Amino acid sequence: MKTLTVYDPRGAVEAAPRAITSRVKKLEGLRVGLLDNTKWNANKLLRGLRERLAARHALGATNYYRKGSFAAAADPELLDRIAAENDIILTAIGD
Amino acid sequence: MHDAVMLEARGRPTAVIITSEFVREAETQRDALGMSGLEAVVIAHPLSSLTDEEIGQRIDQALSQVERVWLGEAVTRTRP
Amino acid sequence: MGKTDIIQAPSPALAAQVPEGTDLIEWYYEHGCSDGLPVVPPTAVKIAAAVTALGGEPGHVLARVPPRWGSLSCEVLAINMVMAGCRPEYAPVVEAAMLALCEPPFNLNGVQATTHMASPLLVVNGPVRRAIGMNAGCNVFGSGNRANATIGRALRLILLNVGGGWPGLLDKSTLGHPGKYTYCIAENEEASPFAPYHVEHGYRAEDSTVFVLAAEPPHSITNHFANDATGVLDSICSAMSTICNNNAVSAGHCAVVLGPEHAATIAKSGWKRHDIRHYLWAHSGNRWGDLYGNGRYGKVYNRNLPVWYKREPDARTPIVPSPDNIHLFVAGGEAGRFSAFIPGWGHMSAPVLRGVGGAQPASGPECADGTCAV
Repeated sequence: MKTLTVYDPRGAVEAAPRAITSRVKKLEGLRVGLLDNTKWNANKLLRGLRERLAARHALGATNYYRKGSFAAAADPELLDRIAAENDIILTAIGD
Repeated sequence: MHDAVMLEARGRPTAVIITSEFVREAETQRDALGMSGLEAVVIAHPLSSLTDEEIGQRIDQALSQVERVWLGEAVTRTRP
Repeated sequence: MGKTDIIQAPSPALAAQVPEGTDLIEWYYEHGCSDGLPVVPPTAVKIAAAVTALGGEPGHVLARVPPRWGSLSCEVLAINMVMAGCRPEYAPVVEAAMLALCEPPFNLNGVQATTHMASPLLVVNGPVRRAIGMNAGCNVFGSGNRANATIGRALRLILLNVGGGWPGLLDKSTLGHPGKYTYCIAENEEASPFAPYHVEHGYRAEDSTVFVLAAEPPHSITNHFANDATGVLDSICSAMSTICNNNAVSAGHCAVVLGPEHAATIAKSGWKRHDIRHYLWAHSGNRWGDLYGNGRYGKVYNRNLPVWYKREPDARTPIVPSPDNIHLFVAGGEAGRFSAFIPGWGHMSAPVLRGVGGAQPASGPECADGTCAV
């Protein structure tokens, strides 16, 4: 059978697979980082969850951070700091 | 999602809250960054124009999902 | 019917060979590779011509295009150019524009995904405009010119196919706008009484550049009565000063396109680019209180605006933070007393100016119309 060639206009997606990090066994005593990306109401959502989480678990600490812009990735320095100062992290509102 | 992947890569379990309208977008970002195993916490869309009471409902939706993402238990999500 | 059923997202497996006699236009539709209009089915010969125009290395990766982060190789760029209807000689402009869009400050990831209607506007300066037959004159934002139409379309096809910005899936724009098919113009340097945009920004007149801005559609400004600079510019200030364009609430950058008749009137008053941009900045803006319902919804701070904006009911809120954030062009037909205001997306995306074919700004201070930036 005679054929025609068609071309894929999409380009390859190349991403090295990365595993998620090990999960924690319990939340008691852990430091929780909250990263607010400054979208509308992200702060209310995060603060509300902080209260509810603190009521359910004896958390070690909670630390609040704010991104420069909701529409761009956080600075690596900020991420380094968050990772250094916390054991687990909650971010909102993501896309 | 990008931030969450970068924090996971730094060894910190990270729960990222998204609204139901952005599930596909978040999954594509995650997959493009190679971390297909990262589950997001999904709450009902929208968030931006809500009253405090409605935000309370979103918090209810998110709470147990957040705990499960950190603890690594299978997430049984109640779709909003 | 599910809301995503009507969207033609690319299917995961594209066959390399199809039976002879296949309707290729329909085939590319069925595989979700179109912007909605029929594409030109690529052939090996046409792809090779575009690859040659891009430097001849098909596998060379120019960029990764978000939010899908597909690899934009010269060959993939060439395929999309052919599909859009481009001639090979448009390649340097399409390439420079894609590199500009993929520079981090532009934040293409955000532009592609936002619920706002913004789409990249491309403005071309320098000799390449004439060399490839771009339209800078009559109906400049409209239909009728192959280069303008297909260069803008090639960018959109790449944003869809390589970037994955499929409406409803990864492109979450509530409304979109017609410029999402093509949004590409050239500055009318020949009809402009001012230095070209790229010369204002430090390039040589004989260099060619691309400028990209995440932009709303153009808003027409009519003024048939004024015979001096301030009369014309006050009309533009009025168009800029609405509480609901995205600059008003998110700062960032905007563009103003002067029609040649308005430009001539302004130049007759002895004004230069610098004077125009400062006047527009100083005499546009909104009352802070008007932006948020005059307190009806409580006190609003709005972190998207600079910290130094005064947040008091009667304070003036600028449309953009600086006269340098107003990007001024002259374009359009030589008859007609019209200009256009083009709001941007906001501070989330910065416009990018880039040389075509690797052109760099001239060394030394930025000078234009006898004024040099420090």
